[in-house]
Amino acid sequence: MNLERLPNEEKLGLCRKYYLIGFAFLPFLWLVNVVWFFQEAFIKPAYSEQLQIKSYVKRSALGLLVWVTVLTTWITIFQRFRAEWGEVGDYISFTIPLGTP
Amino acid sequence: MASSDSDDGIYTERTALVPAPSYRPNDTPTTRNRVNAPRGGASAADGRVLEAEEEEEELTLKYGAKHVIMLFVPVTLCMAVVVATIKSVSFYSEKSDQQLIYTPFTENTASVGRRLLNSVLNSLVMTSVIVIMTVFLVLLYKYRCYKFIHGWLIVSSLMLLFMFSFMYLGEVFKTYNVAVDIPTVLVLVWNFGAVGMICIHWKGPLALQQLYLILISALMALVFIKYLPEWSAWVILGAVSIYDLLAVLCPKGPLRMLVETAQERNEPIFPALIYSSAMAWTVGMATPSDTQRSDTVCLHLVIRRKRVSVCVFIVCVCGGEAVCVYLLYVCVCVCACVGGVKLGLGDFIFYSVLVGKASVTADWNTTLACFIAILIGLCVTLVLLAVWRKALPALPLSVTFGLVFYFSTDFLVRPFMDSLSDHQFYI
Repeated sequence: MNLERLPNEEKLGLCRKYYLIGFAFLPFLWLVNVVWFFQEAFIKPAYSEQLQIKSYVKRSALGLLVWVTVLTTWITIFQRFRAEWGEVGDYISFTIPLGTP
Repeated sequence: MASSDSDDGIYTERTALVPAPSYRPNDTPTTRNRVNAPRGGASAADGRVLEAEEEEEELTLKYGAKHVIMLFVPVTLCMAVVVATIKSVSFYSEKSDQQLIYTPFTENTASVGRRLLNSVLNSLVMTSVIVIMTVFLVLLYKYRCYKFIHGWLIVSSLMLLFMFSFMYLGEVFKTYNVAVDIPTVLVLVWNFGAVGMICIHWKGPLALQQLYLILISALMALVFIKYLPEWSAWVILGAVSIYDLLAVLCPKGPLRMLVETAQERNEPIFPALIYSSAMAWTVGMATPSDTQRSDTVCLHLVIRRKRVSVCVFIVCVCGGEAVCVYLLYVCVCVCACVGGVKLGLGDFIFYSVLVGKASVTADWNTTLACFIAILIGLCVTLVLLAVWRKALPALPLSVTFGLVFYFSTDFLVRPFMDSLSDHQFYI
């Protein structure tokens, strides 16, 4: 759908809904929110709802950053220490590599 | 299957709950301007009132070339994803003993004749299942059971987005021999699936929606490539294109009836399970009073606002260790409307199955030949669409060319090229 055709209140509503739904463990949705509304929030000339859209985009970006940090940290820890965790490591693995390291 | 234009865009707009501007005749110059805008300042965009027919000719022919190119990109992308997966992830090219229940006859028989017979029978079973499902769908639509259809669509896209992508991810990780933990996988699949559902069934950026449609078509094609037996796959491709031809063009064909019912009612059907190449800045839905206007331009635009998204869902259960639900979207119409061109997901799937099977069993020459053949077929279909301006089946031409190219390249061109290079003879 094209954002250009929406009236401003609906844009704000959509941005807000994307932000709220993103709390359901959906950082990807926050990413989509940031990318899609970036132009609306920061590049377009000011209009009445732009301030709120800006704040939602910023909050989505913040949430995204937090998620990325947490995920990266967890993945790094897992990859580094999986072999040493023995049985627990195997239990939480989805795929276990074959062969000798 | 169906290429249509504005409908798709309007359809997605419908879910945006935006009251589309209703068409008014005094908006004609503006509308024409807007419609012509994507063509980069076509000459008609100066607001002069041309003759209605000339105008229509211009619109038709001018949008043809650009939108053909715009359809090449997603079709190519889908095929590229399928071929890349097949070449790297061996899971999808390994033969498995499991078969879909829709291809009950086995191909592990001693004699060639028996094997051929079995594959023909398999394709008959598959085609009759498709026919039954299509008729069922048309009946549902005729009797206005929209909620059922919506629910069906949602369940099937849920399955595709979550289950198949989960399987796919698992196979990719196994191929590259990486250790992945369950929480990460769950987060990845959940994000992919949930955002997909939101983009396809609710509101989302057009590019992302198109990408998701391409990806689910590719996933579906991969499943077919894996679980359809060798010869049956080729015969099924042929049979489905013949069915497509009949269903769309025959007066009593189910898909044609669906198109006509949709036209009569002049209303949107299902969530977008057709791929749209254009944004929707077309004329909005006409109110009943508009359709009675004598303004010929208005009438032409109304007539062409056909909505032809037809999706046939087939739920297949495969025996073996897991119960897998396979869903087949068979969208089998090509329709041209003002503003863009649409192609059904079923077409994406079958094109990718053809190219994917070629890359499994043959070398790169054959794969590329099939790819080119399909694009040629698509081109010709779209030209015919521009000329005839009615719903057309997109499968027959492309699949015919694809099959011809596959068999001729595999059996004639390849041995020829091989012996040429053996004898170091360059042409």
